[in-house]
Amino acid sequence: MNKFIAIVGSNSQKSTNRELLKYMKRHFQDSAEIELVEIKDLPIFKKSADKYVPQLAKDIAKKIEDSDGVIIATPEYDHSVTAVLSSALAWLSYGIHPFVDKPVMITGASYGSLGSSRAQAQLRQILDSPELKARIMPSSEFLLAHSLQAFDDDGNLKDEDVVKELDGLFQDFLQFVNISKQLNNAKDVTKQKAAAFSWDKD
Amino acid sequence: MKLVGIAGSIADQSYNRTLLNFIAKNFTGLVDVDVLDINEVPMFNQDDDQTNSPVIQNLCKKISAADGVIIATPEHNHTVPAALKNVIEWLSYEVHPFDGKPVMIVGASYHTQGSSRAQLHLRQILESPGVNAVVLPGNEFLLGDVKTAFEENGDLKDQRTVDFLQTTLQNFIKFAKVINLISQSNGYQDEDLSAKKGTDTTVQGIDMNDDDWLDKAAKKVNAVEGGTYVKLDSGLLTVDQLNYFLKTMPVELTYVDENNQFIYYNKVGKAEDMLAKRVPAQVGDALDKVHPNIERVMKHVKQVIYDLRSDKTDLVSMPVPGGDKDHHVMHYYKAMHDENGNYKGVNEWAVDLKPIVDQYLQQTGQKLVPDPDAKLDATSGASKDESKPAVDANSGASESVEEPAVKPEVKVDATSSASKN
Repeated sequence: MNKFIAIVGSNSQKSTNRELLKYMKRHFQDSAEIELVEIKDLPIFKKSADKYVPQLAKDIAKKIEDSDGVIIATPEYDHSVTAVLSSALAWLSYGIHPFVDKPVMITGASYGSLGSSRAQAQLRQILDSPELKARIMPSSEFLLAHSLQAFDDDGNLKDEDVVKELDGLFQDFLQFVNISKQLNNAKDVTKQKAAAFSWDKD
Repeated sequence: MKLVGIAGSIADQSYNRTLLNFIAKNFTGLVDVDVLDINEVPMFNQDDDQTNSPVIQNLCKKISAADGVIIATPEHNHTVPAALKNVIEWLSYEVHPFDGKPVMIVGASYHTQGSSRAQLHLRQILESPGVNAVVLPGNEFLLGDVKTAFEENGDLKDQRTVDFLQTTLQNFIKFAKVINLISQSNGYQDEDLSAKKGTDTTVQGIDMNDDDWLDKAAKKVNAVEGGTYVKLDSGLLTVDQLNYFLKTMPVELTYVDENNQFIYYNKVGKAEDMLAKRVPAQVGDALDKVHPNIERVMKHVKQVIYDLRSDKTDLVSMPVPGGDKDHHVMHYYKAMHDENGNYKGVNEWAVDLKPIVDQYLQQTGQKLVPDPDAKLDATSGASKDESKPAVDANSGASESVEEPAVKPEVKVDATSSASKN
């Protein structure tokens, strides 16, 4: 069975993005093992002369390395991904490159009606940058709007149509992960390139 | 023009900070740039609101006071650094200093792209409703290959780059002036007559509109009274002496602080005998409580205060209509400032000019005669003030600002509690 790491893109206790990932973990338990990972205890990303990376970031990187894929749930703050998620991704590409060629499914929940659409679009660009180089599932988008009203008391999604959409996308993601495993020819080169790249050097 | 600069990097070595410092140093004739430090800003978390921490308050205050902001952003992972996004999150949560603020984006990067993608993300972020900055369109300044761009002393090497930066900056100055003009014309609407915001001298935990505010607030802050000495800038008086002195002023004085709270008046007497009718129970009230809730009145009060607060004028004067041959009552509103020029409220005084004029005429053996050439509005002589809104305010606000100061239901209390004094 595939093992996925699910990153909660918010540091708020009341995050509906965490709720969404918890639901996915339970709902898809027969087809994949999903482990939720919190990033709220990581400090703000800061470059240093000795390229220090906190142990917590290294631990998360190891989990991602060992996984078959990553699911990210991002809120939207100011039309963009949260600083805490942006910061985590910066740590997870600072001299370590766990995301290279890793299949990623992007999801997101928002209180309003747009469901974090703009944050997700930016997240795609971020994950496509040289030191992350993740394999983002193409042509797919899961936007959970009005997230405060979306779950019942047991934490299940209320709207059948939304469940159906998520089911379909998750099945596609499983296929995408399988296909991705075949696409290995350039992996070594890509890893090397990511390692050799630096925002500081040319 | 006063600008603040924010370098989007907290790295020990940042070329974006170098770029901002260069702008600050090289264009001193054009702009005055204060480069802010975002190093100590904690991670944004909804569950742990630190908006009131000194570091965020300081950023908020400086941005609010500036005519515009220059943000220099590096690019990391095709976006802005998390540290910069983090600052913007704090400044779009409980406070919104970027609202309506002109912003110019520049950026430097080690690569040929020169932070192009980060700048686009930053534009999107700044235009979101919680931030609502007004970003200078076009005029992209991308400084690529930054490692070789500066001299040892931090100056940009390439003269054409410096020239382009200057053109961009000049465009921004024009842009900022226009944007600030637009936002200023509505500025008075932001005056909060309910005094909810508070200021550093606002007494916390006591209802402003409580009739016994004075006693309760005085107790809360352990206010001195009676024979205790108070050292003033140019004198030493006891609280009693201060009272004797202020009560015998030949004008009626009222103190409204910068938070629009009415905190003092000097003449305690029967309300109906006063030029500006005040009663003890009103002391401490927010301004919206001492004026009738009529939109036109509130608007004029806001305009007068806004003009004083924003230095459009430092004195607004208006005659009270309905004067007769024996009375010409004027109200004057004078802005008060601290030693650093910060607005500290309104010193309002009301005075009847007629006895003064009469005395002058008597002593100099003259008399008043009607001026056949006088234009109608010459009667409100003092309204020949330069400040346009103040003149407008005259016609409507004059009756409104003062007359309603005593609401009928308070009046009864007023006389009784006033007579206790």
